[in-house]
Amino acid sequence: MKRPIDRYVDSLLRRRRPKPFAPTEDDIAVARAAIDLAAAVPDAQRPREAFVEELRRRLSEQEDTPQPAPAPPAAYRPRGRRRFLAATALTATGVAAVVAVDRAVTGSGSPAGPVDAEGDLTPDVGGWQTVARDADLPEGAVLPFDLGAVTGFVRRVSGRLQAVSGVCTHQGCRLRVDTPREQLACPCHGATFTLAGAPLTRPHGSRPLPALPRLPVRIEGGQVQVYGPAPGSEPAAGENQTGPARS
Amino acid sequence: MTAASPEPSGPPGLPGPAGPVGRPGQPRTLPSAVYPNWEAIYSDNVGRIYRLMYSKVGNRHDAEDLTSQVFLTALGPLRTTASVGEVRSYLLATARTVLATHWRSTLGHQVTVIDVDAVDLEDFTGPGSDERSGPTAEQIGTILSGLPERHRAILTLRFLRGYSIKAAAAELGVTVSNAKVLQHRALRRAAGLDKEGDAS
Repeated sequence: MKRPIDRYVDSLLRRRRPKPFAPTEDDIAVARAAIDLAAAVPDAQRPREAFVEELRRRLSEQEDTPQPAPAPPAAYRPRGRRRFLAATALTATGVAAVVAVDRAVTGSGSPAGPVDAEGDLTPDVGGWQTVARDADLPEGAVLPFDLGAVTGFVRRVSGRLQAVSGVCTHQGCRLRVDTPREQLACPCHGATFTLAGAPLTRPHGSRPLPALPRLPVRIEGGQVQVYGPAPGSEPAAGENQTGPARS
Repeated sequence: MTAASPEPSGPPGLPGPAGPVGRPGQPRTLPSAVYPNWEAIYSDNVGRIYRLMYSKVGNRHDAEDLTSQVFLTALGPLRTTASVGEVRSYLLATARTVLATHWRSTLGHQVTVIDVDAVDLEDFTGPGSDERSGPTAEQIGTILSGLPERHRAILTLRFLRGYSIKAAAAELGVTVSNAKVLQHRALRRAAGLDKEGDAS
């Protein structure tokens, strides 16, 4: 005659679903040990392809059907597929914005990339913030700056200015200049970037890291200026206005 | 009851240079990456949740059911603008509730639990990314290393190598019923129930 806990363990060993029973304290401890051991088998490591696909299908059906959502606050209630379409649209706007910023960079005399014949596209919400005096940034120098919401590094190379974000694209730690190696290093997991923002090394096991975003930079009235949020301004969601730059 | 929705945070951040920004023309720092849509949330985390669940229930059938429940419960309230960290915390909190419900309805006791403060879904990345296979391998090592040789042998053969009780008995040179007894004692020992010298 078999004890229920033995049957339970047996099911785990045969890769079957164990049946419920009323366990004693000892049974629970044994079940726990058996579960730990049973979890070492290879099929514990990777879900079956068919299962993953089937669940994906069920989720996509659920997303398509508006839910009588259980409890989440109104502002975050899901709106099915439409919500994701909206998110995608946002993404598209975002890509356009990045392109716009990039063009502004080239338009304002950054060394990176060819000059765009379409002319300047001026970012429209933040403003040009002074980060250093022109005279304080000699050829080859790298200067960290901190505009609150935006931090980064500006440098002068071959007589032209270049600014990159100072936030590691791995987990968002703040980069610092590794002077002897002429690169930007992350103090958290050791990712490194060139001074121009290209990824050099990444943490063990991490996916390839995106390059550091470039920031618009210019010289105005003897000052090195980076385009960033106006002092004291907080980023707000949902705005998408266009218009002349505030500075 | 599932756990609370992730706290509202600022507008979505940038997953990378080609990703979304809040509004045009405003260069911003990268507060954290976001998932572009629920499929990305699912693809990135289904393996992690499955492995986590498997480590808590020890069989594929329950692991699949519980993984399904986590996603079916969590993806509704989840905002895609939540950061990767927020999404994972939410999934983890949901997983804890789902597992607790599972044990309540089967054995009536919390046989295993998910400690949301101690578990990091990052550790459940799975095979292939590097040599480690999550916390499970360490756990097994710890369990087995404290056992007498015969106990370690039977558990290794049965659980890790997939031997039938017959094959394990043959390998150890004992009868099948002796192998059963040995396995039972080894498991009790592994569970910390019997100390050295105990007969049962």
